[in-house]
Amino acid sequence: MFTFIRLNFLSYNLFSFNFFNPKPGNYVLIGSFLSAVLIFSNTALADGIVVDKVYHPYVLPNEREVEWRMLAQRENGVSNDLAQRFAYGQSVTDNLMLEFYVLGERDSNDNFTLSAYEIEARWMMTEQGQYWADWGMLFEVEKEHQENNWEVTSGVIMEKEFGRTSLTLNAFLIYEWGDTIEDEMETEFRLQYRFRHLEQFQPAIEVYSGENYLGIGPAFMGVQRFSGQKQLKWEAAFITGINSESQGHILRLAIEYEF
Amino acid sequence: MSKTLTRSKSLSKAQLIISYILLMVSYNVSAQRQEFSVTLKDHLFYPAEISIPANKKVKLVIDNQDDSIEEFDSFSLNREKVLFPKQKSTIYIGPLSPGRYDFFGEYHPNSARGVIIVSGVELAKPVVKGADNAN
Repeated sequence: MFTFIRLNFLSYNLFSFNFFNPKPGNYVLIGSFLSAVLIFSNTALADGIVVDKVYHPYVLPNEREVEWRMLAQRENGVSNDLAQRFAYGQSVTDNLMLEFYVLGERDSNDNFTLSAYEIEARWMMTEQGQYWADWGMLFEVEKEHQENNWEVTSGVIMEKEFGRTSLTLNAFLIYEWGDTIEDEMETEFRLQYRFRHLEQFQPAIEVYSGENYLGIGPAFMGVQRFSGQKQLKWEAAFITGINSESQGHILRLAIEYEF
Repeated sequence: MSKTLTRSKSLSKAQLIISYILLMVSYNVSAQRQEFSVTLKDHLFYPAEISIPANKKVKLVIDNQDDSIEEFDSFSLNREKVLFPKQKSTIYIGPLSPGRYDFFGEYHPNSARGVIIVSGVELAKPVVKGADNAN
């Protein structure tokens, strides 16, 4: 019930806003929302890693993909974590993509084990280029493998083109609960500013904020096309914590094959 | 002055700045959008060269008259769009600076090719539709 109320609160604010023909007053709402995300993301309790993929709001019909993501975090004397996730995704309508993940993490004994499952829905809300920015939403449900711990995420994805560059923003509200974790609400904010230099090589800068973490770093991504809808996408980023509570470095890699 | 009040003021300031930036970035211009029609037949785009005005958003309506699916793809235009057979699809492009922007069909990349030529000079308006979108 508590989850429902909290998610309803988010849904009301997001859906009551007219993304398609925003009025000047509504920019204050966007500004307030993003401001709130930035502010509250510094007040949540730290119990996870914020750095992950920056999502884009686009879905193509008939799209299928397999994906591998790796994340390595190193902080001198504090942590040396490794997490991987494997996914299969498929667009189920012209503007809705479902993706199923299995997550694995290296434990304290250096054993790599299955840690969680996740289902994710990405909804393309507007046609690319039709409005002043492109909008989408993301919904995720995650359950830990051996514990009765759950996490529900919902959020807004926005992308805006500026010539040969693209600015992508992700703002997420996360609610988690379970037997061995505290019930809590968290927020995350992700930003990517990408220069579409070459198809195979597009440098970017990424910023992550949430759970007392603030990190920034360079990223590189690209795509290699094959026949038909087949293409291989890759991403790599090296994110450095820049506030007093996030001193370490995080390397993230992602490879995605669409077919 | 209390810390709460100081924080409240600084939050309002931050919100105001972010709102202002978003407002400027997304300045809402109710402009009439030019529409350009393209036909895909026998895996060829007609016309293969389309001239559009610089620094304006335009609407490209592609009529796929083939019996097979095609995918419009262009890295320079930053667009990907599935073109279903016997259907019209709309692609919004721009605003673009003057130059040539290649596009192709992913399923028939050797034949289904075209180019958008962005010209700095004012072009005659081929079709004018209502102001259905904002810039």
